[in-house]
Amino acid sequence: MLEAMQRPTMIHGLVPPIDRPSYREGTKAMMPFAFPICVWGLVTGVAMVNAGLSVPISILITLTVFAGSAQLAVLPLLITATPLPVVWVTALLVNLRFVIFAAAARRSFVQLPWQQRMLAGYLNGDLGFALFSRRFADATEHGNPQQWGYFYGGAVVNWVAWMGASIVGILIGASAPEAWGLNQAAYFALLAVLIPMVHRAPVAAGVLVTAVVAVATVHFPMRLGLLLAVVAGVLVAVAAEALRPEGQPHGADEVAADITHDGEIA
Amino acid sequence: MASVPYLLVATLGLTLVTVATRSSFFMLPARIELPARFERALRYAPACALTGIIAQSVFARGGEAYVSVHNNQIWALLAAAVVFAKTRNMVAMMVVGMAVFTALRLWV
Repeated sequence: MLEAMQRPTMIHGLVPPIDRPSYREGTKAMMPFAFPICVWGLVTGVAMVNAGLSVPISILITLTVFAGSAQLAVLPLLITATPLPVVWVTALLVNLRFVIFAAAARRSFVQLPWQQRMLAGYLNGDLGFALFSRRFADATEHGNPQQWGYFYGGAVVNWVAWMGASIVGILIGASAPEAWGLNQAAYFALLAVLIPMVHRAPVAAGVLVTAVVAVATVHFPMRLGLLLAVVAGVLVAVAAEALRPEGQPHGADEVAADITHDGEIA
Repeated sequence: MASVPYLLVATLGLTLVTVATRSSFFMLPARIELPARFERALRYAPACALTGIIAQSVFARGGEAYVSVHNNQIWALLAAAVVFAKTRNMVAMMVVGMAVFTALRLWV
């Protein structure tokens, strides 16, 4: 596998040239997170099936969508056959943090052919980005086999742990009675992503407004109340930030650290 | 219940959303940058979207708001939130949350 990765021609140019020691360093850096990734994957798998999706569809979603929080967020929408634009916009909103990550990491990838950039981007999840941006925060050169190796080392561990645990979860979920309410775990898992994000007054205000508007508008057709609630929450958060001088914009690495539970990565 | 064609089209779109967001600035020309004002709004959207989904799922039932002491999901969610905020331990949160939910379901 590693041999092949050092010769890009063998894998049809999808992966950039990779420095082998850096690849190993990347896998080692991600290893401590393999267990939390597995728990999260397991919960996502169990929740999808327990909410009512079939095993083949759940496996397809796992293998293609590859975004745990978005998968869990759209789950209640999918099982009630909510109009597709609402499903997609909801996933988009949950995934907007990745746009910030992509903007912050782009200088290490822009040199590559488009298919290599697209694949690297697709694999650039929360943890991978947080580790990568921390490791190369002081780098003077951007875009070399060391950085690509480190990135792919972490990405491979993340992918294997996530996919393995998700599929095990799907199979477990299929054999658990629905009455146990294992799909509850989905909301706890979303809470685990949400809570570390809410550590400043502006975002707390936005979240509170979103919750109130979302519950008040739950009877709106096509779940439009959900989108309305998010727009209201974001506007309130932005307005609250403007009122507070200490609400200065913080960097993408801090956004990632919020999501990956603050200091744990250090 | 959702049909298979619906779910297949939904999955295709969700995959495109993952690629579009994660690869966004990897694919755009270097001269296009993320405006600071826009980035600030982007930072708040995921937290609000997660909140909206949780709120509409837990504080509602059958398309109606359901804010009541009899709503077991609310108590389970609160217990899970407290455990996670204190310990940052996802396994502990899951165990406590499910235990509260199951206890209320069986005995209340």
